[in-house]
Amino acid sequence: MFKKLIQKARVKSPWLLHYDCSSCNGCDIEVLACLTPVYDIERFGIINVGNPMHADLLLVTGTVNYRNRKVLLNLHDQMPDPKLVVAIGSCALSGGIFREAYNVIGGVDKVIPVDVYVPGCPAKPEAIIDGVTLGLNVFTRSKEGRKTHAR
Amino acid sequence: MNMAEEMLSAEQLSAILIILPFAAAVICYLIRVSAIRSIVVLIAGTVLITSAVLLIPLTPFSLSPQPFFGVSIHVIVQALDFFLLLIILYFGFRHRHIAIKALALLQIIFLLYFEFFLIQDKPDTSALYCDHLTLVMVLIVSIVGSLICFQAIAYMKNHEEHLRLNRSRQPQFFFVMLLFLSAMNGLVLSNDMLIFYFFFELTTLCSFLLIAHDGTKEAVKNALRALWMNSLGGAAFILALVGIYRETGILELQRMIIYGNIDAGVYLLSMALLCFAAFTKSAQFPFQSWLLGAMVAPTPVSALLHSSTMVKVGVYLVLRLAPAMNGTFLSHCVAVFGAYAFLSAAALAVGQSNGKKVLAYSTISNLGLIFACAGLNSPQAIIAGILLIFFHAVIKALLFLCVGSIEQHIASRDIEDMRGLYATMALTALITVMGVIMMIMPPFGVLLSKWMAIEAAARNLYVVIMIALGSALTVMYWARWAGTLMSDPFAGRFKLERQPLLTWGALGALCLVAGLSSIAAPWLYVWFAVPALNAGYAAPFIVKRGVLENTTGAFAVFPLSMVAILGFVIAILAVKKAAGARIVAPYLSGIQTHAPGVFIGPKNLLVKAEAKNYYLASIFGEQRLTTWINLGAGVLLTLVVGGAL
Amino acid sequence: MTGTAVSIVIGLIGGPLLGGLVSGLDRILTARLQSRIGPPMWQPFYDVVKLWGKEKVVVNVWQAFCAYCYVAATAIALVLFFLKSDLLLILFTQAVGAVFLVVGALSSTSPFSQVGAHRELLQILSYEPLLVFVAVGIYLETGSFKIAGLDTWDEPLLMKLPFLFVVLGYALTIKLRKSPFDLSTSHHAHQELVKGLLTDYSGPFLALTEIGHWYETILLLGFCSLFWANNWIAMMILIVATYFMEVLIDNVSARMNWRWMLGYVWAMGLTLSLVNLIWLYVG
Repeated sequence: MFKKLIQKARVKSPWLLHYDCSSCNGCDIEVLACLTPVYDIERFGIINVGNPMHADLLLVTGTVNYRNRKVLLNLHDQMPDPKLVVAIGSCALSGGIFREAYNVIGGVDKVIPVDVYVPGCPAKPEAIIDGVTLGLNVFTRSKEGRKTHAR
Repeated sequence: MNMAEEMLSAEQLSAILIILPFAAAVICYLIRVSAIRSIVVLIAGTVLITSAVLLIPLTPFSLSPQPFFGVSIHVIVQALDFFLLLIILYFGFRHRHIAIKALALLQIIFLLYFEFFLIQDKPDTSALYCDHLTLVMVLIVSIVGSLICFQAIAYMKNHEEHLRLNRSRQPQFFFVMLLFLSAMNGLVLSNDMLIFYFFFELTTLCSFLLIAHDGTKEAVKNALRALWMNSLGGAAFILALVGIYRETGILELQRMIIYGNIDAGVYLLSMALLCFAAFTKSAQFPFQSWLLGAMVAPTPVSALLHSSTMVKVGVYLVLRLAPAMNGTFLSHCVAVFGAYAFLSAAALAVGQSNGKKVLAYSTISNLGLIFACAGLNSPQAIIAGILLIFFHAVIKALLFLCVGSIEQHIASRDIEDMRGLYATMALTALITVMGVIMMIMPPFGVLLSKWMAIEAAARNLYVVIMIALGSALTVMYWARWAGTLMSDPFAGRFKLERQPLLTWGALGALCLVAGLSSIAAPWLYVWFAVPALNAGYAAPFIVKRGVLENTTGAFAVFPLSMVAILGFVIAILAVKKAAGARIVAPYLSGIQTHAPGVFIGPKNLLVKAEAKNYYLASIFGEQRLTTWINLGAGVLLTLVVGGAL
Repeated sequence: MTGTAVSIVIGLIGGPLLGGLVSGLDRILTARLQSRIGPPMWQPFYDVVKLWGKEKVVVNVWQAFCAYCYVAATAIALVLFFLKSDLLLILFTQAVGAVFLVVGALSSTSPFSQVGAHRELLQILSYEPLLVFVAVGIYLETGSFKIAGLDTWDEPLLMKLPFLFVVLGYALTIKLRKSPFDLSTSHHAHQELVKGLLTDYSGPFLALTEIGHWYETILLLGFCSLFWANNWIAMMILIVATYFMEVLIDNVSARMNWRWMLGYVWAMGLTLSLVNLIWLYVG
C-alpha cells in the first residue's frame, strides 16, 4: 500500500532538471515559457531544480556533440533513481537540421535512454507539457517495466 | 575504603591536597628519569582525585593548621610571600622590564607596611575554610588538573621530539605544573587573605614560568606581559587588603563577606580593587592580551592554567565577594562589565581562524558571563555562575586537549588546516565535535547555565541584551568549527587513528565527566550549588523528576537528556544505514573526478573547488575591534572602581 | 499524565501535518499573487513522499546524522511548546536543529553547500537575539518565561508588545526563508547557489529537512499565536494576517545580501526591542 502511495507521489511531484546540449535556445525559451503564468506547470507539481541530485525528470534540448556528451552522462548519473528523460525538439530527437554536421553525434538517445520524445522546432509549450505528463506514467510501472542505463 | 574515610580528617586531606603536589613536584625536578617521573605524576594525580572526592562528605569545615615545628603557618606564609615577590623582582631585573620591577617593588612595600606596621595582633583566625563553592573548585583542580597532567606526559614527550631537544626540559615543566596544582588548591581552601594573596602570586609566577617554557623570544615576551598584568592585579589586591584592614580590622574572607557595611567608602573601594585584581587574573578587557599571548605555551599549559583553573581564580573571588556587594552600584557595574566582556570576546572569536585563539576568546567570553552572574547577585544568578564555572572548566579543558593532539598531528592550529580532519583523525575529530556540542546545546551544562543567567538577567536590560547578542555570536564560531572538522568527502569508513593511551584516557575521561555531569545537573544543583549559596539567599529552583523549575521558568534537564540520547541512537543507526547508500561526489557544477573537490574544467584541465570559512575580518577582525573594545572596557572599568567612591 | 501524552502526540504528529498544509497554502497563495494557479493543496505531502521513495544518495554519511538530528530537535521544540514549557528552552532546543542543519551542509566540500551554510549561520546570528528579546518581553509583561499561563491572561499580549511582534515578524521572515532574507536556501528555484544550504541533501534526507521545516513553521506560528492567546478567533485572524503579510513581502522583495540583512535586522530589531522593553520595564 505504501508502494502505491509512493508511486502516486512520484506522478504528482516530478521535479525537473533542464539541460541544453547546444541548441539555438528556441526550445529552451519554450521550456521556460512553461514556467510562466500563461502555462504554469507548477499546477502539476513540477519545480525546476538546478541540482541533478534533487531531480526526477531530465529535460534535454539541443544536439549532442562530443563535448557535451560527457556532461549529459554526468548529469544523468548524478540523478538518483527513479528518473525519466524527455527529449525536446527535433535536435534532441535526432540531431535535427544539424544532423550532418561534423561534431554532432545525433539525438539524445545515442547517449542516454530516452522515455519521451517531444517533436517540434521549436516544440510548443503545450506539446512539452503533454509529453511530460504522458511520460509520468512511467513511474506507475513496476521496476522491471522501466528501462535501465545504457552506456 | 570506609576505614580510610574515618582515618582521614579534613585537616589531613587539606594537607594532602596542598602539600602532596608540591612534594611530587620536587621529586619530578630532582629525579630526572622519565619513567619514574611519569609514575610520580600518575600516582600524585590519582591521590589528588581520591582526596578531593573524599573531601565531599566532610564539607563544610574550617580549620587552622597546627604550627609547623613550632613556627605558625602565618609566619611561614609571610616569609614565603616576601621570597616570592623577590623572585618576581629578580625576573624584572633579569629581563629589564620596568613595569614588573615597579609592581614587584610596590607589592613588597605594601606588604611590609601591612605586615609590620598595620597588623597589631594576630587574632586566632581560621586559615582554611571549605564550603561547597570551594569544594567545586577543589574537584575541578584535582580531577581536571590531574587528567591534564596525565595527558601532558604523552604530549610533552612528543613535543620535545618535535623540537629535537638535546636535554629534556620536562623536569622543570612538571615541577611547575604540580606546584601550580598545589597553589590552586591552597588558594581556594584559604580563608586568611594573606595566605590567599600568597597563593595568588604563586599562580602568577607559575603562569610566567610555564608560558616562557619553550624559551623562544616570543614566549618570553608573552610571559613578561602576563607577569606584569597579573602583578598589576596583585598590587591592587594588596592595596585592597590594606584598605579593608584599616577600615574593619578583618583579615578573614568569610568575615569580610558578612561584614555588611555597603556604603561608599574605603571598604567598598577595596572591594572594587579586589574586583579589579580579579579582572586582570581572568584576562578581561582591557587585559585580555596576556591570555591571547599565553597561547604560545604548550597546550597542557593552556588547558590547565588558561582555561580551567588559573583564570577561574578571578571569577571565584568575585563570586565569593558577591554577597558583600549585594545591592550596590559596584555590583551593577560588575554585571554590565561582565556582559560587555561576554559580547566583545564572542565578536572577536568570530573573526579568528587560529584554533587556540578561538578557544582563548571563548574562555574570556564565558568568564565575562560568570562575572555578570556574580554582579547580578540574585540566587539564580549565583547558581548559574557556579554551574558555569564547573561545566566550562571541564569542557574547555577537553577542547584544549583535543586541539593539542590535533596540532601535534597536523602541525598547525589553523581551523582551515583542520578541514576534513575526520579522514585522518576520526575519533579526535568526533570528540572535538562532541565538545563543541556540549558547549552550545541543551540539555548540556553550559547552555543550562546560560539559560539560567538570561532568566536571572531578564530585568536588567543592559545585561540581557548583551548576553543575547553574545550568545548568537557563540553559535556562529562553534558551529563553523564543528562543520569544518567533518568536511570530509566520501566519508563512510571510520578509521581509528593511533594516539598514546594516556591521551585517549584523558580525553575519554573528560568527555565522560562532562556528559554524565550534564545529565546529572539537577542533582549537582541540589548537592553542590544550593549549599554553596550564602545564608541570605534562598534556593531559586525546585527539582522535580529531574526538571529544574520555579515560577518563572523550567528546564527539563533529565527528560531532555533521555530524549537526546534516544535521538542520538536513532541518528547513529541512520548513519549506519546510509553507509550502505551510494556515496557520490558533491555537486560542483562540473564533471566530478574521483579526487575530492576536483572537477574537469575548461580545456579539460583539473580544477580544485575550494571554499574557505567566513571569518568576516572586516567586521569582527581582531585588529579592527580590539582598540574600540578596550576603550569601552576602560570606561566601564573606571565606572567599576570610581563608582565605589 | 494523559494531558502530557496528548500534547506530545499533537506535537509530534499534528505538527508536520499542519505544517505541510500551511506550506501547501503558502504555495497556492504565492501562485495566485503571481497570477498563476499553483499546485494542489496536498503538494508538499506528495513532494515529501516522493523524496522518501528516491534512491539514497549521500555526499557524506554525516548528512544523514544531521538531517535526523534536525528533525528530532525541531520536533522536540514543538512538543515542548505544546507542553507549555519555558520559552527560552524552546528557543534553544530549536537552535540545536538549525546548527545541525548547518553542520551537515558544511560536511560537504562543495562550495555551494559551504557558502550556503555560512549564509545560514549569518541568518541564525541575525534572528536568534531577536527571539530572546521577544521572550524577555513576554517575561517582563507576564512575569514568567513559561507559556502555561498565557491563554488565561486578560489582555492580549499584542497590546503591550506591538513592537516586539514586529521584531518577531523579522525573525519569522528569516526563518520561513522569505525574501529579502532567503539567502541560504529558498523554496523557489534558488538559482544563486543552486540550492544553497540544501544542495547536497537529497532523497530521503531532503524529505527530512522539509519535515523539519514544517515543524519550525508551526513553532514560529505558535509564537505568533502567543500574542493573542486568550481568544481563538482573534488568534487565527492574527496568524492568517501575519502569514499573508509574509507571503506578500516575499513576492514584492528581492533577495538582499548578508551584510544588509545583518545590519538591518540587528539595527531595527535592537531599536524596536529596546523601545518596547523599556516601555514594559518602566510601566
